Amino acid sequence: MASVSLKGLSKVYPGGVTAVQGVDLEVRDGEFVVLVGPSGCGKSTTLRMVAGLEEISAGELRIGERLVNEVPGRDRDVAMVFQSYALYPHLSVRQNLAFPLERRRAHGSKLLRLASAGYRAAARAEDAALAARVDEAARTLGITALLERKPGALSGGQRQRVAVGRALVREPAVFLFDEPLSNLDAKLRVEMRAELARLHQRLGATMLYVTHDQEEAMTLGDRLVVMEGGVVQQCGTPRDVYDRPANRFVAGFVGTPSMNFLPATLVEDAGAPALDVHGARLALPPSSRARPRAPRRGRARRAPGRARALRRGRPG
Amino acid sequence: MTDALHPFPRLLLRILAILTTLAVLWSAGWVFARDVLGGDDDGRTVLTVMHWSGDAGQEEDAIVEAALARFEATHPELRVERINPGDAGSFYTKLQTMMAAGTPPDVFYVGDERLPSLASMGVLTPLDDFVASDPDVALDDFYPVVLDAYRFDGQHAGRGPLYGLPKDFTTIGFYYNKDLFRRAGVPEPADDWTWDDFLAAARAIGELDGCTGAEFVTWPRMLRLYLATRGCDVVDASGDELRVLEPRVLAALEDLYRWRHVEENTLTSGKSRVASGATVFLTGRVGLAGPFGRWVVPSYRQIEGFAWDFAPMPRGEQRASVIASVAWAISSESRHPREAWELVRSLCSPDSQAGLARLGLAMPSRRSVARSDAFVDPSLPPSRDDVFLAQAEYATLLPVPASTKFDSLLETRLNQAVLTGDLDVTTAARAFDEAWRAELESPLGRGDHPLMPWGTVTRVALAIAALVLVGVLLARRRTRLGPLARAEERAGLLLSSPLLLGLLGLMAFPIVLSLLLSFTRWTGIAGLDTARWVGLANYRQLLVDDPRFVTSLKVTAYYALLAVPLGQAFALGAALLMNGKLRGIGFFRAAWYLPSVLAGVGVAVLWRWVFDGDSGLANALLEPLLAPLGLTPPDWFGADAAVWGVPAFALMNLWMVGGSMMIYLAGLQGIPSELYEAAELDGARGWTRFRRVTLPMLSPVLVFNGVMAIIGSFQVFTQAFVMTRGEPGDLTRFYVLYLYNQAFDYFEMGYASAMAWILLVVVLALTALVLRGSRKHVHYEALS
Repeated sequence: MASVSLKGLSKVYPGGVTAVQGVDLEVRDGEFVVLVGPSGCGKSTTLRMVAGLEEISAGELRIGERLVNEVPGRDRDVAMVFQSYALYPHLSVRQNLAFPLERRRAHGSKLLRLASAGYRAAARAEDAALAARVDEAARTLGITALLERKPGALSGGQRQRVAVGRALVREPAVFLFDEPLSNLDAKLRVEMRAELARLHQRLGATMLYVTHDQEEAMTLGDRLVVMEGGVVQQCGTPRDVYDRPANRFVAGFVGTPSMNFLPATLVEDAGAPALDVHGARLALPPSSRARPRAPRRGRARRAPGRARALRRGRPG
Repeated sequence: MTDALHPFPRLLLRILAILTTLAVLWSAGWVFARDVLGGDDDGRTVLTVMHWSGDAGQEEDAIVEAALARFEATHPELRVERINPGDAGSFYTKLQTMMAAGTPPDVFYVGDERLPSLASMGVLTPLDDFVASDPDVALDDFYPVVLDAYRFDGQHAGRGPLYGLPKDFTTIGFYYNKDLFRRAGVPEPADDWTWDDFLAAARAIGELDGCTGAEFVTWPRMLRLYLATRGCDVVDASGDELRVLEPRVLAALEDLYRWRHVEENTLTSGKSRVASGATVFLTGRVGLAGPFGRWVVPSYRQIEGFAWDFAPMPRGEQRASVIASVAWAISSESRHPREAWELVRSLCSPDSQAGLARLGLAMPSRRSVARSDAFVDPSLPPSRDDVFLAQAEYATLLPVPASTKFDSLLETRLNQAVLTGDLDVTTAARAFDEAWRAELESPLGRGDHPLMPWGTVTRVALAIAALVLVGVLLARRRTRLGPLARAEERAGLLLSSPLLLGLLGLMAFPIVLSLLLSFTRWTGIAGLDTARWVGLANYRQLLVDDPRFVTSLKVTAYYALLAVPLGQAFALGAALLMNGKLRGIGFFRAAWYLPSVLAGVGVAVLWRWVFDGDSGLANALLEPLLAPLGLTPPDWFGADAAVWGVPAFALMNLWMVGGSMMIYLAGLQGIPSELYEAAELDGARGWTRFRRVTLPMLSPVLVFNGVMAIIGSFQVFTQAFVMTRGEPGDLTRFYVLYLYNQAFDYFEMGYASAMAWILLVVVLALTALVLRGSRKHVHYEALS
């Protein structure tokens, strides 16, 4: 387990296109953070920079205490679940799960196995440990019955579990998810969402999760990072982001149905700040920081409001 | 149902049906008009004439054209159509094809070396009756030996009916570079010079800086002429008994071997396939070149750098001379033999011969013209025209069996000793002796096989076809179709009918015919009705009694073993490189792909230069690399051909793997990039990534390319045909090349058909083996 720290992380492509600009983010150990935003907002690029699949143009990336800007992805101790699952179609589920472990064996040499009895024994012990970890992951995800099948014979949801399992066996410091549920149908998506949430609770692992689906983001994340145009718009708990959007983009992006914007004027009504919407006065809640000071009084604004926040008023 | 819903509008159907009917009627009418009515639009009878233009090129073309124009002027009722396919090789291929199709030209060239085999197939008209009724033709004006070359009695040339009227001929000797003779201080050849004189001159010229004594070609006729001057021959006077292992023959061949391969610079090395033959003389660095006939004179007259002349064949134990000649012959299938004879007579008239003689290409076959100033022209080289004429007076015919295999075997076997020096003389001579004896003893050679019962075969085939048709119709009646489905079916059949008819007529029919022919002996020249039923004898002969068949299979298998894995590894490696994201990668892809679309013959000619034993690029590059290790580069198609001949073809194949590369590239680009990213995070990279991700994902493509490459490697023809012709010996005789030799050089179309079917079985078996064997390792999941 580890924390992840992004400081001023930027990605500029060779053509001069800036995909991500100065992202600052501290992911605490064991936290589930969701990067959310419309497509093209830079959230996936940010995740891929953390994974080591994209080079970092500027800024600092730390996993735990280690600066990993120049460390290749395979040595960052991160595991990633891809949108397309990226299962190896020619390997069985068991082989898919074992693949990352085999690559990290201490006793992998077939030649040494032939040569030395001691090495052979060590390798056998390692084999057993490896198989145990695969079985354990399969049990956790309920795919034990599928272990001998090939990915082509699995349904979308089953493939998704295998993809998660492949990350799980690694026991990585950080889990990375890149839109893992967007290829599933609506019902399955809800089920898998719940399962991922349970998994996080059980493992208590650090997870960084990318989605364009704000509903998914709201339900899964300890914290949300809303991105747009390569820039972080707001970072906070789902409640925070929902109730106190930092700007109009966040306000419009988060929540279903989305927030309404009405043309309004900030006025003073009986000494308290209020909004004048088409002649109707809406008192602002006392918690609102908006105070109609002299220079801003009477200026036209847009009043953001969620439908469910409205109360039926007394007529007149 | 309305027409709007109809899958294929009725009006369009009708138009198509009418067009098809009209096309069939038109072509039937055209064939009828051509075949039955004959003649031209203006009612004139049409004669077809075919000839070649060899070294003289367009000039020979023009002379024949002029002679035909003169003939048409004096025979207004006739019209002549002239065909000239190019050189002699193309000519014979075209002639064979036309004869097999039943539409041979009426009048055509025949070389004397081909006369026995063509006459024995019965495709030539005997001319004796015409000659007897036509005293003007003055046969006694022709050199007797030249006329005799066109007589054939069913067994031997030189006697029996006359099958061609010789247009011209040549005697044979050596051309020599007068300047080099002077520099070396040796006298020019006298009219009665001997082999000792020849050697003295060649050795002296070989001492000069950068010069070689002589280019001595060993084509069958030239080799036998040499043996004749040494008082012996490879066969006895009747042509029936082999004499190649006689001590005198072996001794004469040993001499030739020694001059070429033991002595330095006396004769050219014989290693080069590029710099050999008549053109070597043009370099001005060879003292003598021959034995050649008159045909090199037009090109030698272009020489400006040195003076040259012609000397007779040196004498050894005795004086000897042979001729090479070309005659006009008439097809036995000609519908207008009388008119054709008129034409032949006119083409061999003194006037026509004088025109040809001025070309310098050959000697007139009529004495009267040969001695006239049309041929003897002191103002042009060679100055010694009299030597050609003198040799004609004592020229003799070489006895030749009526099989083209004789010359072919003689050349491929003996040249391994006397030309390339890869074998000693006795071994080569024994190989020839054995090969020819096996040929004579083959049960196929005996003519007691019954004719193929084509009538019965056709009836059986028709019966089978009718049964199939009835079966299809019955099956159709059982399935009840609604009107819409029926209309759809009809439209579908109509639309696919061109393909179906083409498949039946152009594919199925020839395939079935070739299967039938594989049970026959057929020349491929005379009509199909001359095919004789031999049962399984072709297959038996191939599998049991034909060592060349086994050799060709071995050569091909050796090639496949090298070329398939090497070529595929190379193509895959190239594809991996081409898969990079580089600026200008499109250029590299095109550059690598380009060679695979170049014309086969051009590429083969290019690579013949690369692997040339004397001056090849490959060895020029290898020599400095191997020299420090104390090694010398291989003599690819010479002494080291047993080991290195086939690998040379496999190396050349590497240059043409662009097609496979493109398919691999497409396969590589079909592998999702997430798989590589996942592998990267899972810690697999480099070789592991290639072995665990790329290869399995590419495995269906690998199998496809592998199977195609195996099939391709069993069909190698062009390269071998152009680069080595299967030589030395049979060391590069690929299967399909041998098949071609049988079909088009030896006129054994039935035997070749049997070979084709064996090849089909071999390739099918190999493909099945590959598909079955690879099942476990191929991941077709990668395709989904």
